[in-house]
Amino acid sequence: MNPDALIVWATAIATLGVYTILYRENPVSRLFEHIFVGLSAGYLIVATWTLNLQGKWWNPMVHDRKWYWVFAPIVGLLFYFIYSKRYLWLARLVMGLFFGTAAGYFFREFFPLYSPQVYACFKPLRADASIGWADVILHHWIFVIILLTVMSYFFFSVPHEGRFGRALGRSAGLGRWFLMIAFGAMFGNTVMARISLFIGRVQFLLNDWLIPSFQRLGLGG
Amino acid sequence: MMASAPQSPWQRLQGIPRYYIYLLLAAVVVWQILFPIRLPITPSAATKGVFAAIESVPDGKLIIISADWDASTQAETGPQTEAIIHACFQHHKRFALMSLGAPMGIKLADDLARRVAEQYDARYGVEWCNWGYKFGYDNVLIAMAKDIPKTIGTDFHGAPVAQLPMMAGVTEISSIGLVIEITGLAGISEYWIGLIQGVYGTPFASAYTAVMAPGYYPFLDSKQMKGMLVGAKGGAEMELLVGRPGLGGAIMAAQSWAHLFIIALIVLGNVGYLLASASERRRR
Repeated sequence: MNPDALIVWATAIATLGVYTILYRENPVSRLFEHIFVGLSAGYLIVATWTLNLQGKWWNPMVHDRKWYWVFAPIVGLLFYFIYSKRYLWLARLVMGLFFGTAAGYFFREFFPLYSPQVYACFKPLRADASIGWADVILHHWIFVIILLTVMSYFFFSVPHEGRFGRALGRSAGLGRWFLMIAFGAMFGNTVMARISLFIGRVQFLLNDWLIPSFQRLGLGG
Repeated sequence: MMASAPQSPWQRLQGIPRYYIYLLLAAVVVWQILFPIRLPITPSAATKGVFAAIESVPDGKLIIISADWDASTQAETGPQTEAIIHACFQHHKRFALMSLGAPMGIKLADDLARRVAEQYDARYGVEWCNWGYKFGYDNVLIAMAKDIPKTIGTDFHGAPVAQLPMMAGVTEISSIGLVIEITGLAGISEYWIGLIQGVYGTPFASAYTAVMAPGYYPFLDSKQMKGMLVGAKGGAEMELLVGRPGLGGAIMAAQSWAHLFIIALIVLGNVGYLLASASERRRR
């Protein structure tokens, strides 16, 4: 058997093995699940070494005499002092460094990421030379009504009593309906995604495995 | 011992074992793969946006295709990547593959690019290259914005990227004409938009698995994204735009019929539930 055919057979057996979970929990599907997790983890370690650490850390340290890179893993190893009551402060030191850096990055990223979305919420509600009434109602009015009603659903500071409170309650109720519609659309997309993955596997099983195997046996055209 | 009351057909319908439904769904999919009846596909505005974004990249600039997907979402992201690579070659745009979050995916994307490149006689290092998997998310992007060759270092095959002919003149982020993020992982686009598109104005487009796409529509509305491919459907639409029918279109044929089957089951299940409840009430 040539190596390509062997790979196809192994892939087909692994696919069918994992799909046995659809009948019930069983050792075969567990076995292939563990093989997949193990392979992924192994690949990640090798890729991290060959595509990142070797070129960025090991080679400069060993071949280019940038000896100060030796401190990088020492700083990383400080994390393990989390298991020592006496030297826990060393782990906290390095964690604080990472938390601070991550918070700084997030702060830097937050405004360019979300402020354009806030600006995009301000939409003209009247037709003008650039946009007709049909588009204004279909796109802008619907957008603004849904935005306001959904936001009112998450406004919990006012009880739904009295004139204002009852109006807020009605708006929140409408917002809840809009949220449900959005969740339905999201769930529809989830079904689409899962079915796509399943079709991809069936495509492989039929076109790469079963049909060529039958053809090799002289069965089928 | 009391005998249980006879069940109506509608009540029995509620108790069908789920694996019968899986088998029926598999039968529909196999039927459509072997004897496809294709329903029409019309490219959406979001898909056309990706195509137009590739078309409008200035000749001197590079496209980054961030292939942050792996085997688990290949049925959706594979056809998307292939169609995007076709669009790049057809418009003579140079591109670099890279990955921030999926070390396995970059090998799969490399295989795809190599296969498509052969169809256009495109040479590695001249028309396209693969920067490989670069670990560090935001650190990588912040560093790339200032100095791309130094940040990337070596390509997927271990060669220094600065020595590739297509990298001549590529220094920092202003050398990039478009970033296309293809992923099934939530969160990576936020790095690209927050640290690159939002800060330097580099155009950004995306291709997502269908399950995560709804969360990113606001970025399309706010024009932070030029376009977006949604799942296998987006892949099939892009294949149509580049005139290369492929796996995306084949998946969509089976997908449409599988969806019709699921819709029929949902209707049948709900009608059955209502009729079973009504017959239960009558019996009481």
